[in-house]
Amino acid sequence: MAFSVVLQKAFLLALLSLRAYQNEVFDEPIQLVPEVQNVSTSSKPQQVNLQWTVPNLAHHQELKMMLQIEISRIKTSNVIQVVNYTTTVKWNQVMHWNWKPDIPLECVKYFLRIRGMVDDDKFLLQSSWSNWSSWQEAHIPVSLEPNTVLVFPEDPLVEEGSNITICSVYGRNQHNVSCYLQEKPIPGEQLDSHVSIFNLNNVVFFRDTGTNFFCNSIDTKLEDGIVLFVSKVLEEPKNFSCETQDFKTLNCIWEPGVDTALAWKQQPPQNYTLFESFSGRRKLCNKSSCDWQITDDSQEIYNFTLIAKNYLRTRSVSVSFHLTHRVYLKAPHNVSLEIINTTKAHMTWKVHSRGNDYTLLCQIELLCEKEVIHEHNVSVHMSGDYLFNDLDPDTEYKASVRCADATHFWKWSNWAEKTFSTPEAAPSEALDVWRIVRSKNGSRIVTLFWKPLSKSRANGKILFYNIVAENQDKPAKSKHCSIPAPASDTQLTLDQSSYKLHITANNSVGMSPETILVLSRESGNQEVVEKRINGTKDGFLISWEPRSRDVISYIVDWCAHSQNQLCDLQWKNLGPNTTSTIISSDAFKPGVRYNFRIFEIPVQGPVYLVEKQTGYTQELAPLESPEVLTSNLTSHSFTLSWQGYASQFQAGFIQGYRVYLKSKEMHCHSGWDKVLLSDNSVCCNYDIKDPKQKIFTVENLRPESDYEFSVRSYTSVGENQNATFMMVTTPDEHSHMLLKTMLPMSLCVLLIMVVCYWKSQWVKETCYPDIPNPSKSSILSPIKYMQNPHLTIMNVKDCIPDVLEVINKAEGTKTLYTGAGKLHAENVTKLPPVPTEKDSCGPVPCIFFENFTYDQLAFDSDSHGHVPGPLKDILCQLGPLTPPKNLLNVLGNSNMKSLTGSPTEETSLIYVSQLASPTCGDKDSLTTNLPRPVHCSEYKMQMAVPPSLASPALSKNSDLSSMILLGKGEPG
Amino acid sequence: MDLRAGDSWGMLACLCTVLWHLPAVPALNRTGDPGPGPSIQKTYDLTRYLEHQLRSLAGTYLNYLGPPFNEPDFNPPRLGAESLPRATVNLEVWRSLNDKLRLTQNYEAYSHLLCYLRGLNRQAATAELRRSLAHFCTSLQGLLGSIAGVMAALGYPLPQPLPGTEPAWAPGPAHSDFLQKMDDFWLLKELQTWLWRSAKDFNRLKKKIQPPAAAVTLRLEAHGF
Repeated sequence: MAFSVVLQKAFLLALLSLRAYQNEVFDEPIQLVPEVQNVSTSSKPQQVNLQWTVPNLAHHQELKMMLQIEISRIKTSNVIQVVNYTTTVKWNQVMHWNWKPDIPLECVKYFLRIRGMVDDDKFLLQSSWSNWSSWQEAHIPVSLEPNTVLVFPEDPLVEEGSNITICSVYGRNQHNVSCYLQEKPIPGEQLDSHVSIFNLNNVVFFRDTGTNFFCNSIDTKLEDGIVLFVSKVLEEPKNFSCETQDFKTLNCIWEPGVDTALAWKQQPPQNYTLFESFSGRRKLCNKSSCDWQITDDSQEIYNFTLIAKNYLRTRSVSVSFHLTHRVYLKAPHNVSLEIINTTKAHMTWKVHSRGNDYTLLCQIELLCEKEVIHEHNVSVHMSGDYLFNDLDPDTEYKASVRCADATHFWKWSNWAEKTFSTPEAAPSEALDVWRIVRSKNGSRIVTLFWKPLSKSRANGKILFYNIVAENQDKPAKSKHCSIPAPASDTQLTLDQSSYKLHITANNSVGMSPETILVLSRESGNQEVVEKRINGTKDGFLISWEPRSRDVISYIVDWCAHSQNQLCDLQWKNLGPNTTSTIISSDAFKPGVRYNFRIFEIPVQGPVYLVEKQTGYTQELAPLESPEVLTSNLTSHSFTLSWQGYASQFQAGFIQGYRVYLKSKEMHCHSGWDKVLLSDNSVCCNYDIKDPKQKIFTVENLRPESDYEFSVRSYTSVGENQNATFMMVTTPDEHSHMLLKTMLPMSLCVLLIMVVCYWKSQWVKETCYPDIPNPSKSSILSPIKYMQNPHLTIMNVKDCIPDVLEVINKAEGTKTLYTGAGKLHAENVTKLPPVPTEKDSCGPVPCIFFENFTYDQLAFDSDSHGHVPGPLKDILCQLGPLTPPKNLLNVLGNSNMKSLTGSPTEETSLIYVSQLASPTCGDKDSLTTNLPRPVHCSEYKMQMAVPPSLASPALSKNSDLSSMILLGKGEPG
Repeated sequence: MDLRAGDSWGMLACLCTVLWHLPAVPALNRTGDPGPGPSIQKTYDLTRYLEHQLRSLAGTYLNYLGPPFNEPDFNPPRLGAESLPRATVNLEVWRSLNDKLRLTQNYEAYSHLLCYLRGLNRQAATAELRRSLAHFCTSLQGLLGSIAGVMAALGYPLPQPLPGTEPAWAPGPAHSDFLQKMDDFWLLKELQTWLWRSAKDFNRLKKKIQPPAAAVTLRLEAHGF
């Protein structure tokens, strides 16, 4: 090998020596000068392509050369860049070199030249830079009108964050050109008189349709523009991984990152290629995943390279793995469960395994109500099984299993799930039962309460509760009842015998262990002293003294709603060695008294009430004020009582009562304190410190004084604030004496006055008659008068109005009022018609009423030979008189009854006092209307006028006095 | 005013004459061919609807192009849009157009614009924009059909596209994206102007084809009243 190298070098040396000799011969030095073949430019993308060769190379010669390219802008002397690079040149081969100009080729001219130097170990002579090639111009000429402006490069594509130079070329007539990126003006740099450049640094992405860069001439007319397409930076794919489920396909996935696609096909979305180096295969993938077919079963190791590429950048990421280390198993299948009994189930499943040689790890989970209650891992080959123990009866479970390669764990498979339920079993726990015993009519009413069994204890749906009341004294009288669920209480009526109650809960499978309650003759409600306890927000601390040693348990019970009729009995069952407990409940409210009873359940014998305790979680001031009754009011004292005040239902323990008394004097006696109330009024206060005292006598009061009082209960927190003051006035000191004497006297005087008034007629007639007849004073014969009561009334219907006859026979008058008092025609003295006006007085124009008293006297005196004028009341109907309105109404409604109707119609009598007759009272007016003077008596007998008198017929034909009286409308 | 017997006979005769000639009044004759009137009205309505539709579409598309194309006062030179049919015309020239020419110009303009618009649709980058453009193209196709219907109703032949003058949406390699954006802008602007002009055209045509109600009176008067 070394020999051949030496031989090759010797050959080259000989060759070059020969060339040197030839050059010497031709007097020209031998140089490897690169020769530029062509300089081409492209606008999009902006690029200069330099094509060159080394013409002096020997036939098929290859040499490694260092090249140097000098680039000038605008003029050759303005070198802007020198590029060195190394390449291998071949004989007769055109070499290419590309360069991206910073300023677009349309705006400026570039000049390039190249020189080379052999940089090859094979070349033994000392090498040096060759001469420069000639300058080559690189430029894209544009046709420019004098008035136009052009912008370059055309639609460049750059990456976000990069820099770019944009240039504008304008004709000779354009001098002031403004350029904008979107709406933002961009300051330009004048490169020469008609070229400006604009450097945009760190360009940002706005939209996939590019960012518009445009130039306006001075008259703001748009001249030209370009679209700067800014691509987002291509990101490296993340989380690239491959795995297999079936050893036939490898599924590779990754997170692609941002999409770098641009509109109008300026840049399509980046593409992804998967390359496997061992097999040398390559596959174009979609955006985020690729399925790689495993074609060679013997290949175990894979080395994947994922290449992401867009127009501007390429990113790649690699991963290498052993195939068996990337096994993502399919979920187990054929999962089945066999229910063995109420607490056991057997699960079996199969796995997708490559064979018995492969060991898989399977994870088993048991879920109950979405909570994992059991988890276990097992190793399997082709199939697995597992036994679930300690299951709860009547419960739904979900068994899940998933597997993974045990040797090289990569990833768990998906879960395979199966739901199953265990069958029911008999309830496993005895019921927690308590009772309330009440006596009624010689029998006991036992209300049993029980707490429903928890689901884990019920072991199925409870269908009913069995209660057997076993009569200890008379077994034949035992009772049995079955209460359907979901009841939680029942009531039994038992006699006074001792009973043993057996309570069980039953489901479809069986019954629970029984709970036994013993009811002896004694109800267990022994009288014990109630103890006060103080509760807290968290509850009550209940402690008690144990009574005996042989105790099964203690029970503390209380009512959740102590102020309501519904007790809502609560109880707590405590162990035999317990002497204290904390009773807490969310139902406890401040200001509510809770009464606790502690019972002892002995091994033998009846339930024994150990203690009663009562208390509040938080005492409050009373909300209810006592209802106070006042009694025994005297001029110096009165008594207050509030016996009905239920102190046990107040918001705290009542510690006493405060009596407030207000008076004008504001003098407080001993034992009273002067206090200032919340309304700034001052009053006296007496504190009753005994809560049981519900009566109080306020003393030392002044007679005839106003007092205001109020009674307020108070607890340790304070007194109730909503009590109101009540007023009481003390009586006069002598008023009671006055009452005792004056009342009987007043009654006596009143009685006398009534009697006097009642007998006034009699008194008057007897003592002061109008026409005194001393010889016939009826006062001397009262008995005779009393024997004939009908004499006071004259029957109108019996009157014969047109003729009045006076019979001189004294005995004839005696028969005048007999029987019903009818007037016999033969007893009536016919008088000539009273001269009246024809139109105004009809056939019955006048009626006169005889004064009985006077008549009686007259009859008695046998002086009926003439009728003296004043003794007769002759009432004439006044024709033109218009009845008052109310009278007309009455007339309209009244029945037309003739005057011959029975005077004894008591149901429709109107009593008219003749004394009140306006005929008499307004005598003058009447007389003016009357054709002749009519004399009225000074007083008249009370008479009964039936309403039929007030008839229209009457208005025409009856007497005037009746009309006017009815018109007044105020009879008797 | 007193009526004589002769007057009543005269009025009866007039009434009979009117009833005799009533079927001859075109406005009242519903049994015959309705003529091009309804289709002109429909075409007019369609132009107004498209005007409204284009307003929304142009807003979206110009935002898609970015500033300065979406600025309200942007008025670029009509550099590459010379091939677009111009809607603007001298008022006197427009007035002097006959119906056939008026309709022909409309038909030709929309034929070209529709073709350009379809190219625009193909180039659009977002699916939503493509959907909107496709919907508008369908509507514009409908307008073209309506114009063709009106022309057929009036007995005018449809203009035949000359061979080689078929407009093509082919932005050549020299056509920069900026100029393309300007073309898009002009396409939308020209379309808007054409729709506005078409509304005027069809309104004018409508008035011309459908004589006003006063014509009925004149016709009646001509029959001896």
